[in-house]
Amino acid sequence: MIELISATKTYPNGIEVLFEVNLNIGKEEFVFLVGPSGAGKTTLLKLLYREEVPTSGKVIVDRVNVAELDANQVPYLRRNIGVIFQDFKLLPKRTVYENVAFALRVMGAPRSTIRRKAMQALELVGMLKRANSFPDELSGGEKQRACIARAIVNNPPILLADEPTGNLDPTTSWDILQLLDKINKRNTTVLVATHNKSIVDEMKKRVVELESGRVVRDQQLGMYHVQQS
Amino acid sequence: MFSNLEFFLVEAFRSFQRSALISMVTMVTITVSLTIFGLFLLSVINLGNMVGTVSSKLDLSAYTSKDISLEDAGAIQVRISKIPGVEKIEYTSKAEAWKKFKEDFSSKLSLDEAIRDNPLPHTFAVQIRTPDLLPIVAKQISAMEVIDEVRYSGRLIDQIKSLVSAVRVGGLALIVLLFLATLLIVVNTIRLTVLARETDIYIMKLVGATNNFVKWPFIIEGIFIGVLGGVFSFLILKFSYDSVISRLALALPFLPTVTDQGLLSAIYAVMIFGGMGLGMLGGYISVSKVLKNEEEGKC
Repeated sequence: MIELISATKTYPNGIEVLFEVNLNIGKEEFVFLVGPSGAGKTTLLKLLYREEVPTSGKVIVDRVNVAELDANQVPYLRRNIGVIFQDFKLLPKRTVYENVAFALRVMGAPRSTIRRKAMQALELVGMLKRANSFPDELSGGEKQRACIARAIVNNPPILLADEPTGNLDPTTSWDILQLLDKINKRNTTVLVATHNKSIVDEMKKRVVELESGRVVRDQQLGMYHVQQS
Repeated sequence: MFSNLEFFLVEAFRSFQRSALISMVTMVTITVSLTIFGLFLLSVINLGNMVGTVSSKLDLSAYTSKDISLEDAGAIQVRISKIPGVEKIEYTSKAEAWKKFKEDFSSKLSLDEAIRDNPLPHTFAVQIRTPDLLPIVAKQISAMEVIDEVRYSGRLIDQIKSLVSAVRVGGLALIVLLFLATLLIVVNTIRLTVLARETDIYIMKLVGATNNFVKWPFIIEGIFIGVLGGVFSFLILKFSYDSVISRLALALPFLPTVTDQGLLSAIYAVMIFGGMGLGMLGGYISVSKVLKNEEEGKC
């Protein structure tokens, strides 16, 4: 589903964020991307939804090399990738429902479809009751649920999460991860960039560790840190 | 597409509401620029109209002090009327002119005592079809032996004409400059509303909106602001022009002014469509700039 082949990203100021990264993530996998701040986790995710273009190498998403994707094709790529963030990026002057529906609207979906799909997504994340609240009125966990609802409303095959629990307390973080796990079980490939150790250790999923832009570990049923044996 | 249009309209209106102050500033800018533009247009048109009227009223006068009979005068009239471009001739004899002169000034002077001999010449007032022919006709008439002198205010016409063409050329340059300056201001003020909505744009792009989809609400907002500006400038112009014209008509009744409603309506339509165009272009350019910056920042 996702494949990086010798992907390297160097910023114009000479800083090398990713170096020769090779990574293969299969369909419906759940993968943690771990590593210290500045290791290149966010940049790696950005390469996948084409907010960044690699300096060299290939980034293949669903059999397409997105590094070479024409700019006018990028919107269609993004409709197949849901993204959630640490800071949620919800539109403050819109209700939860409007935020979720917004994603469908920009795709030009018909009104009846929008209503049905938005409600389904809100139900899945457990936010139906809060549909008419504004982001300001929500707790951190609720905001992240709203953000997830927006990301999955179009049933994308891929869901990317950039530090989804960065602003949340441990219990809420755990709930959010459970939700991501639930979405993964509905046939969605999930890639979570995080440095939340306890969650990674608890979930026992595949762990890919980045350090200074290089993959230093790729382990099934891994822990946040290398287990000492 | 229909549901998209509704979305665009709603988004445009939201944006207008949310950045009401900036929208107002943009609208006032458009209003002011269009009003100046319209004033200018009205002035040029009126000036052109004045010149047209003045030159159409102009004619030349040929004089002779030679002793000619009424028959001679008739013959001269026939000769002059054969010159191409001559439309009408009016003959005033020496005696008639003297009589009229005395009538006009008798209250002020006792002319008979001062001047015994009639000093005035015979006059042929010649009307010319077009002002351009004036110098040519004048030359031909002055070539006639019997004519002593030909007078016309040709230089005045030439001066007014060159003034008008200077105003037109300068005006065109000014209009272009004004348009560009306004566009620049409009682009930058609308850009403020676009920047205020950068997060919206970012999220729209993130969830897969095409560039065109992002652009439309801003273009519609621009059109909306522009048309409002155009309508305001139209109202300002219409009322001020009408009041100036009616006052002028009282104070200087001989001054020819443009009151042709068709022409005025056309100018006012230019105001409103000009506002629309400015707003639309402003919206388009500013959102395109922001989108481009965003894309460049990420590659």
